[in-house]
Amino acid sequence: MAVSKTEIEKLAKLAKLSFSDEELERFTAEFDAIIAFADTINQSIEGGTEQIRSIGARMVPFETLRPDEVVPSLPSDKILSNVEGYNGFFGLERSKK
Amino acid sequence: MNYEIVCGIETHVELATKTKIFCGCTTEFGGEPNTHCCPVCTGQPGSLPILNQKVVEYAIKAGLALNCKINTKSHMDRKNYVYPDLPKAYQISQYDEPLCENGYIELDSGKRIGITRIHIEEDAGKLIHEKGYTYIDYNRSGVPLIEIVSEPDISSAEEAREYAEKLQLIMRYIGVSDCKMQEGSMRCDVNLSLRKPGDPNFGVRTETKNINSLSFIQKAVMAEAERQADILDAGGTIVQQTMRYDEKTDSVTPMRDKENSDDYRYFPDPDILGFCIDEEKVEEIRASLPELPFDKFKRYINVLGLSEATAKQLIKYKKVAEFFEGAIAEGASVKNAANLIVGTIFSNMDTEEEKELFAIRISAAQFAALVKLADEKKINIGVAQSTLQKMLESGKPVEEFIKPEDLVGISDEELESLCKEAIDANQKVVADIRNGKDKAINMLFGYVMKKTGGKADIRKVEAMLRKFIGQ
Repeated sequence: MAVSKTEIEKLAKLAKLSFSDEELERFTAEFDAIIAFADTINQSIEGGTEQIRSIGARMVPFETLRPDEVVPSLPSDKILSNVEGYNGFFGLERSKK
Repeated sequence: MNYEIVCGIETHVELATKTKIFCGCTTEFGGEPNTHCCPVCTGQPGSLPILNQKVVEYAIKAGLALNCKINTKSHMDRKNYVYPDLPKAYQISQYDEPLCENGYIELDSGKRIGITRIHIEEDAGKLIHEKGYTYIDYNRSGVPLIEIVSEPDISSAEEAREYAEKLQLIMRYIGVSDCKMQEGSMRCDVNLSLRKPGDPNFGVRTETKNINSLSFIQKAVMAEAERQADILDAGGTIVQQTMRYDEKTDSVTPMRDKENSDDYRYFPDPDILGFCIDEEKVEEIRASLPELPFDKFKRYINVLGLSEATAKQLIKYKKVAEFFEGAIAEGASVKNAANLIVGTIFSNMDTEEEKELFAIRISAAQFAALVKLADEKKINIGVAQSTLQKMLESGKPVEEFIKPEDLVGISDEELESLCKEAIDANQKVVADIRNGKDKAINMLFGYVMKKTGGKADIRKVEAMLRKFIGQ
């Protein structure tokens, strides 16, 4: 197994999710399968992960970066259109934990 | 304490760009909640970040001012963590290719505190916790930051404060940030561990987060060192934790267990291409750097002849140094200008913030006009001080306040030689006076007053003339 149950527990904690023991067992197996699949992709690329990394290593010159000029922001009702806003704020009920 | 402090400081400095790091929203402080936002800085699906050129330029500027090596190739990484202030659930930061590395800040003692790295990243939103709810304002989300990470070279609370103070001053001089700690545009995290003197190994460290004043840095280092020493003395072990400094109780308390960098699952951000900077561009930025505070300090002492104490006070605030140099350029003398600033102008300013802001009602040229009167001994220093005070209160120029009686006019030596000259040139008049024609002395008064443009003190002239004539 490439992934242990402890690792899944830790990931769940970092993602602020909680699971039952049964779910953890199931996710461990599923994650293991996913990682194994990703490993197959890795092996099929010549040069392995270094090669994948170099895809992100394409460079743009400094001169082509975005100039520091202000553009209008979106109206706050648009920004909040998918949520229930509270006086212009995003609002969350705090978890009891 | 039987331990040695091993401390490093991570400093977040908000860059003074007009727009955010990955979108064109304004970085202006304040504003109604969520009005400086767009799909990019609120992490809406499908939005794409575009890196702000000025952020890279300012970070390089900061790196050069802190003696760093500039990496001409760099890229952005994702730092994953889940918290409502971060709408994407990751922060775009830099991990293994920061823009700047291996610099230092020199303390007054000559000790150098190493700078490990400086990287660019985005700020998070602001959370307000109230009655079981959390309210989120993303105006700050995406505001550009540089994180300046020091080596664990700091070994006392005083050194920690001096390091942060110097860092703040340099950032202000080069104009990349206003570094207002009370507004959060400069925040420090203190990493600290203890070890027995001579022990080559580091102890377990804690990180005290978001310290927002220079004096709290000093206090937090002391409080955390004492807390750790108490635990170690009692045979306990230090837990790697994130701590909070509480200024009210002057104590450090745990916030949460600290993540390791593994927990952040860094990887290169596939939405942003890496970027490269020509050596020539780096040199161009280097050439644009102003004279830095420490160099200015040395010049004020070695070239201008100021004392260390005065030089230190003048360089401590960028605007004060500019005002001082402006007055010198207008012809004011170094000594009088420096003394009047430190003595009179500073006495009107109670706080560091006021000195930093240096919002005074007169220009450097108006100040220089006053200083020159003192330089030429036309007014004595007491009159100069009181006049300056009136100028500061009213914003009016020196001419409004200097009355004829304030003018010393002319030195005693000059007056004496003019009186002698008047006697030599008017021997007949002198003889008349000696023969009892007392009114003839008016002729001599006239001579002296004409020569001095009417500025001489008439009683003094009379006394001198009578002394020389022998009456």
